[in-house]
Amino acid sequence: MAIYPKVAEIIADALGCDEVEVQPDSSLINDLDAESIDFLDIVFRLEREFKVKIPRGKAIEEARGELSEEEFEQGGIVTDAGVEKLRGYLSEVPADRIKTPLKAAEIPKLFTTETFCKMVIREQQAGA
Amino acid sequence: MTDHFRAFSFVDRIHGDETGKHITGSYHIPAGITAFPLSLVAESIGQLAAWSSMAVVDFTVRPVAGIAGRVEFPGTVKPGDTLELEAILVKADDEAVGYDGIARVNGEPVVRLHDCLGPMVPLVDFDEPGAMRERYRLLRSTGATPGAFGGVPCFAAEKAGGIPGETAEGSFAIPESAPFFGDHFPRRPVFPGTLLMNLNLGFAIDLAVERAGAGTRWTPQEMTDVKIRSFMAPGEILDLKASITEHDGDRVRVIVETRKGKRLTSSARILLSRIP
Repeated sequence: MAIYPKVAEIIADALGCDEVEVQPDSSLINDLDAESIDFLDIVFRLEREFKVKIPRGKAIEEARGELSEEEFEQGGIVTDAGVEKLRGYLSEVPADRIKTPLKAAEIPKLFTTETFCKMVIREQQAGA
Repeated sequence: MTDHFRAFSFVDRIHGDETGKHITGSYHIPAGITAFPLSLVAESIGQLAAWSSMAVVDFTVRPVAGIAGRVEFPGTVKPGDTLELEAILVKADDEAVGYDGIARVNGEPVVRLHDCLGPMVPLVDFDEPGAMRERYRLLRSTGATPGAFGGVPCFAAEKAGGIPGETAEGSFAIPESAPFFGDHFPRRPVFPGTLLMNLNLGFAIDLAVERAGAGTRWTPQEMTDVKIRSFMAPGEILDLKASITEHDGDRVRVIVETRKGKRLTSSARILLSRIP
């Protein structure tokens, strides 16, 4: 199944917006006004549609890679090393959106439609 | 007498719990109350699913109202009826409970829930974990003594404007105090999402009557894309807006949104059908 069209459709359904508003690089929070309940909704719909499990915090855990939590984040702010890791992991996010200092709690603001596509693909590959 | 497990608790007995997967139970609607809205039947199913999901995580977290993909209302209930409840859980962990469910009376469906999702919050912030564990044990063994619920007031929004027959705007002041706050929840009172659901249904029906003419009667057929975005505390003021999106004489589709200031706090799509 083609991932992107279905993910975009699910995001549009969950947010009650037109599918045309959902672009690959749309930030769900900044561009589409998504809130935490919407993230939960979207992930739940993706899990049901694609028969995968997307654990909470998995994306950030994967982005952190071999860095320890302290190396990734200090006092709620993502470290320089952490920002580099994020830039690599969230390669679909335009670089100018990842500004420093970056609060760890604001990482989800970076997530785009394509980020969710990648989450699905990674979980599909992990389960294959 | 405390309102805990009395003023807003709608499971009397759990008949079987394949914990985190499938749960069945029942609730006897007290015969002495004046009405039991269908939204409270939905609440009963949600509470049943909540018990199973809390048992999975040993009552460290509890679900709160979040999302209902679709709520169907194929039947009606009346005081004195016994609800036969069932929920199938598709997700139950420390993040959320996801489930489908049904309530029947005498074997006939009265409310069906599809694709519901309740986010988990720390139980200790809202309730007493020990009391909740004890209640679960009681429900699974002898069951609770029916008849504790004394009813809820019939809340209605105050209409303040709109385009006649097309949109309606209004407001609703959540009461500062009410018995149900003692049960929902003892440590942090929250206006129940299902009471908001009932308020929204009433607001939508009033708009349908305005559109179709005085004397017409309407009943909810289904609600879809129900989403509660934030907690509603005692004393808060909610602004409501209802908009008709389709009307073909016998059916009306309405979108209802509530806001707290500028912030969208809930939304739902409602399908009403005309009672001949």
